[in-house]
Amino acid sequence: MFNQGGLSLDQAPPLSVVMRFFITASIFGILLGLFLFSQSLHITTLSSYSTQLITVHTLSLGVMASFMLGALFQMLPVLAGVVIKTPTTKAMMVHGLLTVGVLVQLFAFGVTSNSLLYFLASAYLGLALFYALYLMLKELIKIKTHSSSSKGISLALTMLIPTVIFGTYLLLTEGGFIHIIDFSQIKEIHYSFALLGWISLLIVSVSFQVIEMFYVTPSYPTNITKYLTLTIVLLLILKMTFILLEYPTTILTATIALLFLAYATVTIERLTQRKRPTADATVWFWLFGMALFILSMTVTLIGSFFTISSTLQHLSYIAFIGFALSIVFAMIYKIVPFLTWFHLSNQGYMEAPMMHDVIHPKKAKIHFYIHFVTIVIWLLTTDITWLGSLLITISFGWLFYNLIFAIKKYTYTQKHCEKIEW
Amino acid sequence: MKKFFLDAREMAHPEPFQISLKYLKEMSNEDYFYMLNTKEPIPLLELAHDKGFKFLTHQDSNKNWHIVISKNSQQNLEELLDV
Repeated sequence: MFNQGGLSLDQAPPLSVVMRFFITASIFGILLGLFLFSQSLHITTLSSYSTQLITVHTLSLGVMASFMLGALFQMLPVLAGVVIKTPTTKAMMVHGLLTVGVLVQLFAFGVTSNSLLYFLASAYLGLALFYALYLMLKELIKIKTHSSSSKGISLALTMLIPTVIFGTYLLLTEGGFIHIIDFSQIKEIHYSFALLGWISLLIVSVSFQVIEMFYVTPSYPTNITKYLTLTIVLLLILKMTFILLEYPTTILTATIALLFLAYATVTIERLTQRKRPTADATVWFWLFGMALFILSMTVTLIGSFFTISSTLQHLSYIAFIGFALSIVFAMIYKIVPFLTWFHLSNQGYMEAPMMHDVIHPKKAKIHFYIHFVTIVIWLLTTDITWLGSLLITISFGWLFYNLIFAIKKYTYTQKHCEKIEW
Repeated sequence: MKKFFLDAREMAHPEPFQISLKYLKEMSNEDYFYMLNTKEPIPLLELAHDKGFKFLTHQDSNKNWHIVISKNSQQNLEELLDV
């Protein structure tokens, strides 16, 4: 897929590198659904604080970080033209450390009195994420002429650094190893960098290239591709400073929300200007994701100036989760069929399954319907219900099945089809 | 000499890549592949290069890219350009 400037598809890492992360993310999603289901039926009875921490971190680390790091291992050679040498071993290390780290962290949140678990979680997660950052950033800084995407990806990864530092700090505080004077200050800095820096900026940066290429739309305006990501980064750094100095951050938060609102509006506008509009589930995921991003940022904007109810605050968080998941699903249903076909085709399998045989577009559409209903129910109830939890399990379960199906297609072709030299 | 032609100017990724790869596999030594695109398809060109194909790219005054790919190393690709 696709760089316009200097990629090599041959440098794309093996399929296993990406699939390992995607499968794990799906499993974390299924486990989250099951956990919330048992909580809603009072089968497990964790406090609402523990439930909140487990939910947020399963989603942000187990699901989102796994998807995003897996996609980056695949997309960096393609979107940025950089190559991570021996990607299989390195990806395995990041994947192993991250998976263990997330599991230990979730247990720590469930069994709050165990200091050792907090220490181990911070060690595993710190190692996993800093190692991934080192692998990717050291290649990205070598690029002489950055595209808007490669620059944005570098900035998004940079935003992961304070996210991890402050996250580790919070974990060690929870474990009783250190003491923070103002826990809520550090928490706000941590999630601002995580949500608005790392997750949002990565999505924004990737969209600059893939929206135009995947959907044949007009390009984003130059003002957005050139300045948006850097401006958000500067505002986030300023916001952190203001929080630490205990200055009001209203204007900064509102400006960030306004900039993201402008971006999401332009993205929707671009998607409606497709040259060949077809009923494609990945477009629906993008449109739904952007609508949710607008909802989340609108509430953030209002909340910057007025006192809003906790229900409205929850609505904003759920809309943000829905936004991030929608875009991740859109990307997966593009990446996995293409990679499976490409690797087989490049290996010389003449009868390599076409992309729609790997994951049929109908399967992606089914996932969109499930995902749409899940998010709408979650937004309407603004709480975890047994139905919402069940739908989360089904949504990730369906994705898991589709990924396993793609892997089976891949291995079947390798085992049973004839190879040619070309 | 058979011309495999693809106008990819309004095609979404990765469809042009998928069709191009199919054509490159089907082409005999005497055939050539001619593609029209809005961007220079670097991934395809690198792959073609790796597989021993010869290629030529040219951007016309309308900013469209003309790509000619052949297996035959003796083939004068400039002669095949239609601009």
